Amino acid sequence: MADHVRTRHNLPRADIVLAALSVIAYVGAMWMVFGYAPREATMGDVQRIFYFHVASAWVGFFGFFVTFVAGVAYLVRGARRWDILAGASAEIGLTFITMTLVTGMLWARPVWGVYWIWEPRLTISAVQWLLYVAYVMLRGSVMEPERQARFAAVYGIVAFVTVPLSWFAIRWWRTIHPIVISGEGMAITSRMVYTLVASLGAFTLVYVTLVRRRTALEQARDDLAALQFARESGEG
Amino acid sequence: MRSGAARMQPKVVPLMLEAVGVTKAFGPRRALVDVDLSVSEGDVVVLVGPNGAGKTTLLRAFATLLQPTSGMLRVAGLVSTEAGHEVRQQIGYLSHRTLLYDDLTAEQNLRFYARAYGVPDAETRIEELLERVSLAERRGDPVRTFSRGMQQRLAVARTVLHRPRLLLLDEPYAGLDPVAADTLTALLTDLAEEGRTLVLTTHHLEGISLDYGRAVVLNRGRVIYDGVVDDHATLPALYRKLVAMPPSQTSSSEPVSPVSPPDRLNPVREEAPTAGGAGYLRQLGAIVVKDIAAELRTREILSAMAVYAILAMLIFSFALDLRGVAARAAAPGVLWATIAFAGTLGLSRSLAREQETGGIEGLLLMPADRTVILLGKAVGNLILVLALEVVLLPLATVLFNIGLLTPDIGAVVLLGTLGYVLAGTLLAAMAVNTRAREVMLPILLLPLVVPLLIAAVQATSGLLEGLRWSEVAGWTRLIVVYDLLMAAVVLFTSETVVEA
Repeated sequence: MADHVRTRHNLPRADIVLAALSVIAYVGAMWMVFGYAPREATMGDVQRIFYFHVASAWVGFFGFFVTFVAGVAYLVRGARRWDILAGASAEIGLTFITMTLVTGMLWARPVWGVYWIWEPRLTISAVQWLLYVAYVMLRGSVMEPERQARFAAVYGIVAFVTVPLSWFAIRWWRTIHPIVISGEGMAITSRMVYTLVASLGAFTLVYVTLVRRRTALEQARDDLAALQFARESGEG
Repeated sequence: MRSGAARMQPKVVPLMLEAVGVTKAFGPRRALVDVDLSVSEGDVVVLVGPNGAGKTTLLRAFATLLQPTSGMLRVAGLVSTEAGHEVRQQIGYLSHRTLLYDDLTAEQNLRFYARAYGVPDAETRIEELLERVSLAERRGDPVRTFSRGMQQRLAVARTVLHRPRLLLLDEPYAGLDPVAADTLTALLTDLAEEGRTLVLTTHHLEGISLDYGRAVVLNRGRVIYDGVVDDHATLPALYRKLVAMPPSQTSSSEPVSPVSPPDRLNPVREEAPTAGGAGYLRQLGAIVVKDIAAELRTREILSAMAVYAILAMLIFSFALDLRGVAARAAAPGVLWATIAFAGTLGLSRSLAREQETGGIEGLLLMPADRTVILLGKAVGNLILVLALEVVLLPLATVLFNIGLLTPDIGAVVLLGTLGYVLAGTLLAAMAVNTRAREVMLPILLLPLVVPLLIAAVQATSGLLEGLRWSEVAGWTRLIVVYDLLMAAVVLFTSETVVEA
């Protein structure tokens, strides 16, 4: 029995290396955030959320950009791998944008006295969060794989191309009305810049690792479904 | 019954239909597996197989309603994927559903399809067909009042309206009583005698009284038999034997075709469609007129939107109880939020109505660009939402005591509604094909119209505060950019999004 039940315990070598690099980069970034970067004079230690907040926002936006590119590639090429990449990147981008919103609120409360404010960057993050929640729901709501891929590709493209318009509208709207907070007030030292760059790198590596695992999982699901179908229809 | 190979015809018969290595997969499931089939012009072929054998999938692929995953389909000498419009002009497709609009009369239904196909002498043709299917006296009655047999006869009239050379009939006898079945047989026999090619599916051979010359048996997506039929009485027993055989035996048997050398038919257009911009506008106009006619008869969408919008406006007005400057500041937001929420009801219903009646299949069968369908629906929806706003603007004016009824604000409302309807129609076409279609449209649409709503609210606010048009031009330009972007998206993605 055990002879013909083969389970793949081993990850591909590239994934092991990538995961190890992600862990090292992440631990290094944490050390820089808490041990290397100076304490901000006005905001104190709460400013350290900034390194998570900006890095997760960057990865979220990058994830949605990958979803857009993969959606275009799927519509042009029609290859399933592009759809898998688009879906994986959107899910992981959404996770990071959720982190952006949560860290933004945690930062806002002690610094601005409120958890939420209609500040342009927070607002655009909220709009993106809603767009990609809708994207993920759309994928989950269409059963036929080919149709799911086509619809998701179209929505991923439309969602991404409206983001600059949303950004422009929100920015302009909040500029006309009083702006309560501006990021320009925070003085950034070189140590802070290095720490930010390290966080961006670490988060990006984590994103790449997660996307690779997520796409591999989806591919494995496809393979399993094909095997099950072949078995049920007597073709296997 | 004899094998087709044993009765090779010496004369060269032109092919009307040809499938070469056609496979259609839905995810891991293959509905069609390497199907080869050719049908000569004038043949009457019955496509038989158990439930799930792939009959409907094959017919839908021939009708260009779905694309094969691999392989090639040719109709009247034209490759389906390369000449969709011309192919559709040659095909009359009778679906499981009638593809008729329940709320329109028999005459209105046929008139819509006549415009969509560019049928010359349309009124004479409609008259002739209504007589032929014995529905002339019921021409002015809504289809929803017809019996199943009457609906099927009208569906046959719709199928042959544009004088197609190939008729694809999916379970045409399903649900008919014996008398209605005999009437249908007489109609189909007439069409066969006119030289039309008929391909019809069934999984119930005993129910077919039509004189067919050839049977093709499909099982598990594969052609397991293809032969000429001399004695209809022997076919059911042979069919049962073939279907009961294990796949390993049937798949190895060599499919045969009664048609000898494949001599492809040169594309001949009996009734050439009107090409170019005039045809495009005619088809777009047909969809708009059909939608408005259905709405005028039922008032289903407009009344639902209007009641919802009035309720929302009254609740906002009552709950906020704003006056003076505060009312002027809040009113644009309330107005646009109401339009956005009430609009989703109408947009969703407009596409769901097509989906429920199978009308979207009818639209897809039109010899037309897919953009016509989405733009036609968008124009119909725009008219409905603008009609809603005709009610809503005076109501907001009264409740908030502000001057919304100005040409400038009207222009902002028109521009904003255009972008909203374009985005909404595109997404509604997707939402109707989802599991949670009742709730999916607002979830998809509202985050997408954020920039539009911000710009529309700000422009409306500015104009209410007494700013001139030029002073809110930044916002109106943003609305125009959004409108253009959505128009481009609709044009480029229609082919991807619109489907049965």
